[in-house]
Amino acid sequence: MSDLSRRAFLAGAGLVVVAKSSLAIPSVAWSAPKTGVAAPVFTATDTGGKAVSLGDQHGKIVVLEWTNHDCPYVRKHYDTGNMQALQKEATRQGVVWLTIISSAPGTQGYVNPREADELTTTRKAAPTAVLLDPTGVVGKMYGATNTPHMYVIDKAGTLMYAGAIDDRPTTRRGDVQGAHNYVREALQAVAAGQPVKMPVTRAYGCTVKYA
Amino acid sequence: MWDNAELMRRLCAKLVIALALVLAAGAPARAATVPPTPLVAVELLSETGSVRPGETFWIALRQQITPGWHTYWGVNPGDAGEPTRIEWALPAGFTAGEISWPYPSRISAGIAMSYGYEAEVVLPIPVTVSRDVTPGTTVALRGQASWLVCEKICIPEEAPVALSLPVSADTPRPDPVGAPLIGAARRRLPVPSPWPASFSATPETVTLTVATRDLAPERVAEVWFYPAKWGAIEHAAPQRVSLAPDRITLEVKRGQLAEATAAPIDGILIVTERLDGGVARQAFALRAEPRSSVSALALAHAIALALAGGLVLNLMPCVLPVLSVKTLALVNHAGGRAVVRRHGFAYAFGVLASFAVVAGALLALRAGGEQIGWGFQLQSPVVVTLLADVLFTVALSLSGVFVVSGRFASAGQSLAGRAGYAGSFFTGALATVAATPCTAPFMGAAVGYAVTQPWPTALLIFEALALGLALPFLLLTLIPAWRRFLPRPGRWMERLQQALAFPLYASVAWLLWVVSQQAGSSGVAAAMAGLVLIGLAAWLYQVSREARASWRRVATAAVAMLALGAVALGPVTSGGSSAPPTTRADGWEAFSTARLAELRAAGRPVFVNVTAAWCLTCLVNERVALRSPAVAEALARKSVATLKADWTKRDPAITRVLGSFGRNGVPLYLLYPGHAAGEPEVLPQILSEGAVIDALGKL
Repeated sequence: MSDLSRRAFLAGAGLVVVAKSSLAIPSVAWSAPKTGVAAPVFTATDTGGKAVSLGDQHGKIVVLEWTNHDCPYVRKHYDTGNMQALQKEATRQGVVWLTIISSAPGTQGYVNPREADELTTTRKAAPTAVLLDPTGVVGKMYGATNTPHMYVIDKAGTLMYAGAIDDRPTTRRGDVQGAHNYVREALQAVAAGQPVKMPVTRAYGCTVKYA
Repeated sequence: MWDNAELMRRLCAKLVIALALVLAAGAPARAATVPPTPLVAVELLSETGSVRPGETFWIALRQQITPGWHTYWGVNPGDAGEPTRIEWALPAGFTAGEISWPYPSRISAGIAMSYGYEAEVVLPIPVTVSRDVTPGTTVALRGQASWLVCEKICIPEEAPVALSLPVSADTPRPDPVGAPLIGAARRRLPVPSPWPASFSATPETVTLTVATRDLAPERVAEVWFYPAKWGAIEHAAPQRVSLAPDRITLEVKRGQLAEATAAPIDGILIVTERLDGGVARQAFALRAEPRSSVSALALAHAIALALAGGLVLNLMPCVLPVLSVKTLALVNHAGGRAVVRRHGFAYAFGVLASFAVVAGALLALRAGGEQIGWGFQLQSPVVVTLLADVLFTVALSLSGVFVVSGRFASAGQSLAGRAGYAGSFFTGALATVAATPCTAPFMGAAVGYAVTQPWPTALLIFEALALGLALPFLLLTLIPAWRRFLPRPGRWMERLQQALAFPLYASVAWLLWVVSQQAGSSGVAAAMAGLVLIGLAAWLYQVSREARASWRRVATAAVAMLALGAVALGPVTSGGSSAPPTTRADGWEAFSTARLAELRAAGRPVFVNVTAAWCLTCLVNERVALRSPAVAEALARKSVATLKADWTKRDPAITRVLGSFGRNGVPLYLLYPGHAAGEPEVLPQILSEGAVIDALGKL
């Protein structure tokens, strides 16, 4: 402890100060949804202009993937083909994969519907749909802080997993190999009707570029 | 030249901003995402101008960051981001430690919070030089630094870094650029929190309570808790802080990881204080224990520990002579059971009452903000001198120099100066006073827990300790059957009584040495003059008993005067002083929180011995375990730095260290591992050579 601050602390010693003071930093209210309970129901527009609602997916396992194609962490998973492989593996088994873009206009990752479809084609991605959320309403409903930020919802609409794609929070492409993929593990557990071993992990990546 | 470099850097930074603005304004969103690189200029600094073979010294990675952008805290980057890393390619025999992370600031991005550094940060790294380098040559430290730099968007960057330094056998000089920057960065490293912390959790919130002792709430501008891990609390949520002199309470939204609140929460608490000339920011590394488990472990456990500790105290060298003599009195009291029983109660009452007085004073003073702990009364040379006076008087009586009550010249009744139940009561008081310098096993944890509790709970624990101390003698008086194990009375009792005087003389000699540590030679002179007066008073008392009544009255008055004189000499001892030298003669360096942080950051294991001259247990431990050649060799082999925190006199900083380990008294032995993140091992309060060597072996 530096001498200066010790003196400052000691200045209060011996005095009986009755007054309490309170400090708080105001901020916007928001809430991350809990796993094990119903996932928040939302409706968003896909790149074809069609409204997609979570309520319509009843009876299907749903994956939500928050993305930003210029984020180095997202690029790690797309440039290595890791994300596309997982999308194909999941959709082949009937999973609904919704890629969501919550970047506000003018921020990194914001795209118009045409650009979004172009990205899907050039990257050989295989989501069920790409949803555009430029107002960030859906992102904040899910407390999505990162790209990539991943969620798995079971057939009954219960949120089963929220967090990172894997356990290697880096931008190094070499780290994809040998990483423990939490989403794949969650999908297998949900498909088998078993509890997810790690229902919540620390998501890593860039921040979502909300307005 | 240096100024020029600085100018260039600023120009570059401005250029970057201008460019970024142009791009952001004119181009579509996609183009704005590729700002010019690098955004962070890095260089390696050294604290010294040269290096010595085999020594550990400090280097640092300096990051100069484009305004508006930030890099990340290595302990927990927050909701996004990634810490800076260096992949080293060092010459053979060189090792680089982990980065010591200065405390970060908060960078908010809506619902995500990052912990990181803006503008500039210096990240200190300890490097150990090979023993085999030759003075006169130059060594080059090379590495590849990589980091993530973010503003709204994030860019991974990397760059090679290198530093060349001459090898010299001379004492290194501080590097004019590196030394001040690295020194300043080290002052931003969190220090171990002196305050115990705990938390409670509801499904929605986590409430952190930090038991401060000396906080001035009106000066505190801001308090913020930075958890070491994601998951227990929501990083971006507001933290509601309320301040009282003895406590900081911080309520925050609970994090997403449900199981995170089952374990202790680690993190740093940054307290910003308003000072006359600005603000001072201090980062404390703390571990908050879950409160439910705290109170569960709690009371029953603490009481059991206190009771056990009290029982063992009976066997301690300071208490045993006093009690043996008292037990001898029982032998003579073979008669009236009721009388014996009442003596037992009087004794137990004496112990309980004096414990209540000492513990009450301790708690009252602590509530008043004093940084004191158990044994605090012995931190005053006046009290030590008076204790020596009392023990000397008892010893003279045992030696037969004087007998208080001529008609009842039995061993027990002469003890503590008074016959009858009052005598038993004072024996209890004396046992308490004599017990303070000794710490029994189990006591440390119980007393440490007690002082963090509200006063009724605290007092309950202290009284459990007292009951433990009183119990053996009390049981002996209550259960006549047990007294059959006592030997028969006889002449041996007189001899034993005389023999028992000598441990007390030894205690007096030791207390005089304690006075010499506290108050120097003038203090010892005053205390010894007091003992001479007591000797004179004892002799005068005894010879006057056979004189005529008038003479006896004169003599009694003289005895009273002499005794008062001896007592009056006590305070004289407080006049002297003896400042402890920085490096102590016995090879142990004086403890300070800063020195500990420095050694740990340098990657050295550290043994901390918290001790006091008046703590007999401590001295015994030092003699049998810490100073043994085998331990010294083991310490040297693992190159363990040894720090001695001397609590002989009052020292609030050391009291805080004790508090942070849940203790309130000495001894305390801590062994910190070499890696900076490791938790220290707390060694037992009764040390053996083997236990210390085992602990060192595990490093």
